[in-house]
Amino acid sequence: MRRLMYEARAQLASPVRNPRTATVIGRLLGLAFLLCFGTGLYSHFLQQPLPWMTFPTRPAGLYQVTQGTHIVAGIACFPLLLAKLYVVFPQLFRYPPVTSFADFLERASIALFVGASLVEITIGLLNTYQWYPFPFPFRQVHFALAFVIIGSLLVHIGVKLPLIAAHWRAAPADGPEERHPVDTNAEDTAAVALAVTKVSTDEGLSRTGGITGRVLSYIDGAPDLPARTSRRGFLTTVALAVTAVVGLTAGQTLAPLDAANVFGPRKKGVGPQGVPVNRTSAQAKVATAALSADWVLTLAVGGTERVFSRAELAALPQTDVDLPIACVEGWSQMAAWRGVRLRDLVDAAGGSPDSDLRLISLEQRGGFKQTEMGSEYVRDPLTLVALELNGETLDLEHGFPARMIAPGRPGVLQTKWLSRIEAIDA
Amino acid sequence: MMMATTSPARPSRRMRAARVVLVVGGALGLALGVYVLVDTVALRRLPGVALWIGGAIVLHDAVISPMVFGLGVLTRRAGHRLAGGIIVTVQAAIVLGSLMTLLVLPAIAAQTLGSNNPTVLPLDYARNLGLFWLALAVASGLISVWLYLRTKRANQRPSRIQS
Repeated sequence: MRRLMYEARAQLASPVRNPRTATVIGRLLGLAFLLCFGTGLYSHFLQQPLPWMTFPTRPAGLYQVTQGTHIVAGIACFPLLLAKLYVVFPQLFRYPPVTSFADFLERASIALFVGASLVEITIGLLNTYQWYPFPFPFRQVHFALAFVIIGSLLVHIGVKLPLIAAHWRAAPADGPEERHPVDTNAEDTAAVALAVTKVSTDEGLSRTGGITGRVLSYIDGAPDLPARTSRRGFLTTVALAVTAVVGLTAGQTLAPLDAANVFGPRKKGVGPQGVPVNRTSAQAKVATAALSADWVLTLAVGGTERVFSRAELAALPQTDVDLPIACVEGWSQMAAWRGVRLRDLVDAAGGSPDSDLRLISLEQRGGFKQTEMGSEYVRDPLTLVALELNGETLDLEHGFPARMIAPGRPGVLQTKWLSRIEAIDA
Repeated sequence: MMMATTSPARPSRRMRAARVVLVVGGALGLALGVYVLVDTVALRRLPGVALWIGGAIVLHDAVISPMVFGLGVLTRRAGHRLAGGIIVTVQAAIVLGSLMTLLVLPAIAAQTLGSNNPTVLPLDYARNLGLFWLALAVASGLISVWLYLRTKRANQRPSRIQS
């Protein structure tokens, strides 16, 4: 067993499997994880704010940027994580597998780290496809695993800190250790590997026999690449892979990359009135209520309730704003909206623009049929109860008869098919 | 500095403190994550989460990694007469194509299953993936030919540097 493990590590030794590459790729992956974590927390608290929280309403495209970053960095994690795992793979065959209880805990945390990271980015990707083949709820698990991952990342950095510090900068010249498998703290693996070969060839001891032996000699027959070529090839491949997965999908949120968007789950301009839709009227089962002639928007923001028909809303002063619709799934689309300023409407209904609002949709079910809006958005002159989109009457799929549109908020909070607006502290 | 690059520096007091803070803070974060998971996800769903985490590890360590290793061996053996640059170019093309396939296949699957929202997955992902592989084949082919000719020319010079 011991020899098999050494054999495996010796076979897997490669010029790119060294602590320096692990540090270089690890830094980038750590950065991508932290970007995802930070933007993810921001998105989470926008949707489920703690009581004391207020959020910036400018720049108006803030959420477009934070959530676009979340998804772009998340996609970049695929090549980076696989590259990092490639570099450290020989560690799997360490012998003895564990040396102490602390070592066991460390290896267990690594296993959890790797597994949780792979699941996190996979379910994140599947969520952008709106496909849920996994037996657990997306939002809760994606949120909880984020803490598991960042926690085990910190533990991992803490454990490896001396190694990371030693390899933070490139060695001035190629040292003799460059072919060692990663993490040489236990023993000199390359020397061990050499010894294994020496023992088996020089002293006439048979190598591992049978199929294993034949496989090993087949592998030995493969010529080694020059270390420089191998290293450069690896880093170039990782760079190209990150460029490809980001460049060919990010056009769903970054307008300049729209032409290159061939794999993004959304396409700019594809949808009714040139805007994609997160949840259709059929999915929300609102068509009958929304198209009904006696639809009214009820405002309960002052002492009494006031109702507005669509014609009454359209008769109020109209404002034009350009605001992006930015989805939690990472796509965004700039659009021209026309409607009544929310703060004017609240004013007309006898309410104060300083109270938080509860927005209630015609939707019968779903997590966002009822959402809350902090007063910072109510006060903002860009926040509209929109009646028109891109110069036309709002399409049913975009929330006809009336929807909310506010700067810097996730699409799921831009309540469609508005039915009722209440002041929370009223 | 030379010492630092050849062996991990002897732990200074600051390094020790940083490590303790990282490990303790990380353990707390991990515990918080587990607490949030148990608190927000129904108990009967938790085995599914564990299964996916375990499955991801097995899938990577027992399927993806051996395939990558095998790919390395096969390409190096198949191209043993060729310059290293050509082998690396072909390897890079295969890795890029496989990675993109890994990401796009679920999109194609989800598309096949169908959605009642036509603005989700509106592109022809299968065709685009095919074109991507084609582009990789053409690009890596051109680069390989260029590398081959360059090596050959270098070998024809009187002073042979390359072998």
